Amino acid sequence: MQLLELDGVGKDYPRLDAVGSRVRLVYRLLRGVAPGSVFRALDGITLSMQRGESLGVVGENGAGKSTLLKIVAGVVKPTRGSVQVNGRIAALLELGSGFHPDYAGSANIDLAGALLGLAPEEIAAKREAIIAFADIGDHIDDPVKTYSSGMVVRLGFAIATALSPDVLITDEVFAVGDESFQKKCITWMERYLEDGGTLLLCSHSMYHVQKLCVNALWLDHGKPRMYGDATTVAREYLAFHEAKLQAHTSHTQVIAGDYRITSLQLVPLNHGAEVDPESGFRVSVTIRSPDARPPVVVIGIVRADGTPIYGTTSEVDGVQPRREADDRYGFDLTFEALPLLPGHYRLRAHAMDPEGMRVFDLHEVPFVIGGSTRELGFCRLPHRWDHA
Amino acid sequence: MSRPLPIAANESLTSIAASPSTASRLRSLFRLFYLREVRGRYLGTSTGLAWALLHPIALLGVYWFVFTTVFRAGNFGSKSFLAFVAVALWPWLAAQEALSRATVTLSSYAGLIRKAAFPQEAIVYASVTATLTLHVIGYILVLVVLKLMGEPLQLEGLVIALPLWLVLIVGITGVALALASLQVFLRDVEHVLVPLLMIGMYLTPILYPLTLVPEGVRPWVAANPFSWVVGRMRDALLDGRLAFVPGDAVAVVVAVALFAAGLAMFRRLAPHFEDFL
Repeated sequence: MQLLELDGVGKDYPRLDAVGSRVRLVYRLLRGVAPGSVFRALDGITLSMQRGESLGVVGENGAGKSTLLKIVAGVVKPTRGSVQVNGRIAALLELGSGFHPDYAGSANIDLAGALLGLAPEEIAAKREAIIAFADIGDHIDDPVKTYSSGMVVRLGFAIATALSPDVLITDEVFAVGDESFQKKCITWMERYLEDGGTLLLCSHSMYHVQKLCVNALWLDHGKPRMYGDATTVAREYLAFHEAKLQAHTSHTQVIAGDYRITSLQLVPLNHGAEVDPESGFRVSVTIRSPDARPPVVVIGIVRADGTPIYGTTSEVDGVQPRREADDRYGFDLTFEALPLLPGHYRLRAHAMDPEGMRVFDLHEVPFVIGGSTRELGFCRLPHRWDHA
Repeated sequence: MSRPLPIAANESLTSIAASPSTASRLRSLFRLFYLREVRGRYLGTSTGLAWALLHPIALLGVYWFVFTTVFRAGNFGSKSFLAFVAVALWPWLAAQEALSRATVTLSSYAGLIRKAAFPQEAIVYASVTATLTLHVIGYILVLVVLKLMGEPLQLEGLVIALPLWLVLIVGITGVALALASLQVFLRDVEHVLVPLLMIGMYLTPILYPLTLVPEGVRPWVAANPFSWVVGRMRDALLDGRLAFVPGDAVAVVVAVALFAAGLAMFRRLAPHFEDFL
């Protein structure tokens, strides 16, 4: 049985755009009619989770992540679609979620238990463990509104953990709290996951998504952009951001005209859609030379955000082009093995004058290095562990 | 412990509270909120409890002074003005306070509503019952004191008056549910409510008997459900009439209908609270 199943889930929020629209809205809601003007916060979300199959939700701010988590937690009722939950859900949504600020910490423990439908004696049985885990001393009897953000997180996490949820919904709350508490959280989290616990994690850290989650859902403006194994989704998401960043940074100054690239081809030697880093790829460039003199070519690899990784020129390597016609020259270059980590890259080529002084043209071909890894960065450097 | 918790988008309103787990959750939440209301409002502050009792007593004293000494209205028939007003004023003030408090109560739970899933009507139930139960106690206390002062009260009339309070609580809760849910969307409900309750008090036979109302208008004043409750309390506590009458059944039906309508309205609007609070 699926632990969690969402089918075509969507959420619309009514939009208030005119004076008096509140009255009209209430009237429509009371009649059971959908609001006239709505904002689609979420649309067409279909996913399922099995026990132990943690899911990461990624996306930019405002993409609908919180709405989705709230729907799963039952706080928000979806406008469309169905949600099926088979198990107990605990949610750590934002700081101090589910706390009443005027209640003392201990009263909030009772409240959290009651919200989850625990009997008073069940709550009483767990109270000691929660207070011990939270470890905030006498503050447990103070109203939560007097707590520091660290104390709020401590109590929230202590409550969520003590309730032994089947699904733990959480967004980025681990970054709060001191070192020793963070360690406690991580230790608990590892045990929880080992014991078959399931996470619904909303995170901007692709590292954590890949480490903790089996699957990931990428939300874009409320719609699912990609849903699949966490490694792939994280890679695509990062590439998307690199590309987006690149759009804001300016290119190398390129002079138009004169020496021009007429074709740039990249052929993966494994003949797949993605480049296998073991076998590499071959590049073919054709450059038109207005004065029929042999031009120089620059060939390089950049990350999706435009960061240069490696580049060389035919002039640096002392290579002459192959003459294809009176004004056309060809270059063939093979990268036999690429120490690149999986991700999105671009092959970049420039045409230069025969002296290798002026850069004339820019052509790019995007490519993907396939595979999956949890190594960091974009390039694998040779290394060895000396004690092993 | 794994139980299915289906949340379907097009689920009808009636099925929300159907599962037994929701009912037990409602109970334990109500208990928590209720204790919190009572503690925070009356016991947490040093003057809260005293003020809750003092306010009706002070008003009673003022009305007594104005009507008997200034206007020299005298007694209505054989009835003492003080006892006559005390019996009716207290339920009205209690209802008035319950309604104005319940109207704004959801916003003080905004953080919880935005981040946790629970039957939100428990908040309104707790607010209304916390106010009304305290006033029932105050009511009995004041009646006993008035009796000891020699006012012509038939305390055995409480046999009728207390069940009427119960009917009142049910009806008031229904109105409170409607007002509280409207207030989330229309912020001026709380402001409109103040003058409306003031007008309502003078249109209800609290400071005067129904028999003094001109005959043409009388059916309108009598149609007010509160007029019925007040009249019955006077029957019981002033005249010692201790039998239920068929009209009491109508009062029960009206109260239950108010409650049902209020709850239906609340449940219609509740899914959107999170967005507007």
